[in-house]
Amino acid sequence: MLPNKFSLRTENREGRTIVYVGGELDLEVASQMRAAMEPLMELSDRRLTLNLRDLKYIDSTGIGILISVLKARHSRNAPFDVEHVPGHIRKLFDMTGITPFLAAAE
Amino acid sequence: MTKDRQVLLSVPAQAEYVDLIRLTLYGIASKMKYSFEEIEDMKVAVSEAVNNAVLHAYGGEDGIIEVSFAVSDEELAITVRDHGVSFAPSANPESAALHGKSIDEIQSGGLGLYLMQALMDRVEVKHDGGTAVILTKKRARSEETA
Repeated sequence: MLPNKFSLRTENREGRTIVYVGGELDLEVASQMRAAMEPLMELSDRRLTLNLRDLKYIDSTGIGILISVLKARHSRNAPFDVEHVPGHIRKLFDMTGITPFLAAAE
Repeated sequence: MTKDRQVLLSVPAQAEYVDLIRLTLYGIASKMKYSFEEIEDMKVAVSEAVNNAVLHAYGGEDGIIEVSFAVSDEELAITVRDHGVSFAPSANPESAALHGKSIDEIQSGGLGLYLMQALMDRVEVKHDGGTAVILTKKRARSEETA
């Protein structure tokens, strides 16, 4: 409803699914994000990548979603990574300690 | 010391209003000349407090969240207040962080309070017919000490 509106776009190419997450990933859009990720988490034979280049905002709600995605991928032994993390979001990842789990976890 | 100035905002305890609180915070903090990084820190911390109120205070019933921004020469103090059920924070917010844990041990519970404490200079939680979370960020005294 306001600027920095949340956006999601999925791109499939060569055994890889890339999800572009933009705008503000907050409580209001958390269920939309979870619903979009759920079928993609199941696809064990494809690499799943989140591209966060256009992400403007995240808090523990969004970080919680990342945790559930990476746990789901880990339990399926399926590749998952996060790329193009903006600086101020990287700071939150470092603070919470999620960073090592997001780097090319294969 | 000059008298505090206050801005008050009252919103329904619903997720769709959390961005409105962030926008108001952005306006006030920009006027106070906080840096981009400080404003981003405060946006997350305040949202965490508001998220808790939206999710836990009213048990799915209608309710109100009141946010007050107290502006002074020294700091910005943001109080997020609800009149619902008290949400008991974890005893040790540090333990919520994921550092040094295995992938099987990590979970998101408690990260909100952990982030509030990591991002603000002071966090106070009061329970008095609801919950009030007071988040304070000091202003840099001058360019040199920033």
